[in-house]
Amino acid sequence: MNRIKYLSLLMLALLFLAACSGEKKNPKWLINEVMTNNQNNFTDDFGQHNPWIEIYNNTSRTQNLAGMFLTTDRNNPKMYPIPLGDVLTQIKPHQHALFWADGEPFHGTFHTNFKLDPEKENYIALYDVDGKTLLDEIVIPAGIPADKTYGYTVDGFKYDENGNVVAQQLERVTPSSNNEVVGENPKLVYLKEHDAEGVTITLTSMLVVFLGLILLYIVFRFIGNTAKNLSQQKAAKSGKLAAVRAQSQLSGEVLAAISAAIAELTEAEHDIESTILTINQVKRNYSPWSSKIYNLRQLPK
Amino acid sequence: MNTLLSIGDNLQTFWGYTGFANAEPGHIVMIVVGLIFIFLAVRYEFEPLLLIPIGFGMLIGNIPFNEAANLKVGIYEEGSVLNILYQGVVQGWYPPLIFLGIGAMTDFQSLIANPKLMLIGAAAQFGIFGAYIIALNVGFEPNQAGAIGIIGGADGPTAIFLSSKLAPNLMGAIAVSAYSYMALVPIIQPPFMRLLTTKKERVIRMKAPRVVSQTEKIMFPIIGLLLTTFLVPSGLPLLGMLFFGNLLKESGVTRRLAETARGPLIDTITILLGLTVGASTQATTFLTKQSVLVFGIGALSFIIATVAGILFVKFLNLLLKKENKINPLIGNSGVSAVPDSARISQVLGLEYDPSNYLLMHAMGPNVAGVIGSAVAAGIMLGFLG
Repeated sequence: MNRIKYLSLLMLALLFLAACSGEKKNPKWLINEVMTNNQNNFTDDFGQHNPWIEIYNNTSRTQNLAGMFLTTDRNNPKMYPIPLGDVLTQIKPHQHALFWADGEPFHGTFHTNFKLDPEKENYIALYDVDGKTLLDEIVIPAGIPADKTYGYTVDGFKYDENGNVVAQQLERVTPSSNNEVVGENPKLVYLKEHDAEGVTITLTSMLVVFLGLILLYIVFRFIGNTAKNLSQQKAAKSGKLAAVRAQSQLSGEVLAAISAAIAELTEAEHDIESTILTINQVKRNYSPWSSKIYNLRQLPK
Repeated sequence: MNTLLSIGDNLQTFWGYTGFANAEPGHIVMIVVGLIFIFLAVRYEFEPLLLIPIGFGMLIGNIPFNEAANLKVGIYEEGSVLNILYQGVVQGWYPPLIFLGIGAMTDFQSLIANPKLMLIGAAAQFGIFGAYIIALNVGFEPNQAGAIGIIGGADGPTAIFLSSKLAPNLMGAIAVSAYSYMALVPIIQPPFMRLLTTKKERVIRMKAPRVVSQTEKIMFPIIGLLLTTFLVPSGLPLLGMLFFGNLLKESGVTRRLAETARGPLIDTITILLGLTVGASTQATTFLTKQSVLVFGIGALSFIIATVAGILFVKFLNLLLKKENKINPLIGNSGVSAVPDSARISQVLGLEYDPSNYLLMHAMGPNVAGVIGSAVAAGIMLGFLG
């Protein structure tokens, strides 16, 4: 039985370790989609066709791009500092920012001081405000056809299960919007197709509920037994009546009642009296810090 | 003459704004339901702390008014006072605060002393998933079915939390259904408890639970949090607050915080939650065929949960030694209507053996049910959210 307990605990520990094992994580900011050769596609506010870089906030909180750096040179991370003081650099959760790589920084916050060359391989990187921490990088191969983009099929997903980068030439051009158009929650679509009766999800969920509470059961059975053994050992060592009583299965009230009954039986000099035995549990939880006089306010009675 | 005409016009305009002019049969129906809730709470003391605020909320929410006039008085009108108070329900932050209070007032001692009772709390969650299957089969979408299923957990805050995430349009019906059936637990559960147990089983005496040390009580919320939320992180808002509240109680050094959590805080949130949930039953948006179905499935989910808990105890007894057998009358307590369902175990137990006190034993599965339903809600959120 003990062996089973220890094995269960070992399995639990392994489960935690397995859960903590490293897997490549998608970056918090992602260079999500890039067009290096814009001939007749999306136009900027000046009516010009220029290459563009789409950056995706891959978190569930609003993040600010201001002060970060965009670059196309590995040796010069601070090539284009994204200007401070523009509210539009605050990007909402899972939303995009579009930068025009037109070499015209005075056209606005979202116009970089560098250009992209469709004939060559383009390295693009985003650095944090310190200019040293690389947030994301992507290499766009040379020869991407005109008006086509390179990026990730699903927004925010840079790596596959094996940790490989999954960037590719995309079928659709989607500046400032999702690369994958999701009309309906994919989980629900899957469930409707594969588990229309709800039996599989029921069995899985019940398994998880049981697993969770069985884990608690195992741990607390173990802790309970350990606590019991420890207190027994302690009591045996001390040899004091109070210690033995403390680890007894009987509550203090029951022990007090038994003691009173024995006392009455052995020292019975009176008839039955109409008195009431009141047992007040002794509480020793007083501390000056929990004293009522230190309370900021009194609770209403 | 002109003055008289203009007074007439004014009165006519005024009439258009009154509740009488805007009343629809649905409003009257919901007002009657609200009055019944208040009657049940006052006359029979069925969950008065919930039914009074919900019942009165129903009255508030169903006072007819001219919705086209943009008076900003209705609960669904952005910027109205009721709408602002309702945000705690819509955004799902009232339920975790309620859980904080529940944690601070719950004694997990009986569960720690006899941890196998946790499994009964797990078995009763069949009510949730049974209702999920039924809801799917009557045509609800999986996310709606999940939100409806959680009624079977018999846990109002959890039901509100999950429905606000999965099916906000059904939240009013789900919340009212969950709280109504929780109040009706003394009527729903006993017939099935009698039906599924034999006379011999009903008089099983369980061993007195051992005395639990303070260290174990302190360890319970910490280990409970780590184990359950590592397994189901989506249950974090509820489980985190539940175990935090319990640590405030058991640590012994944060008495003031624990008292606030289980006293003024939970009372305040209960008032706001009950009132706004009641008011959300505005007839024009609430009285639909879907709401009626939700009520029907809700009742079934409570029955399934009760039956599953009792049958599981009977099954467990097949594996246990004679001296460790569990009285199946505590099987109903796996639903997390704390402490009502445990109280029912006690009352029924005493009916068959006047000296067999089951309350402490029943509290084990009862509080395990709270944990179980929060875990189940987390799973639902993970699968369907």
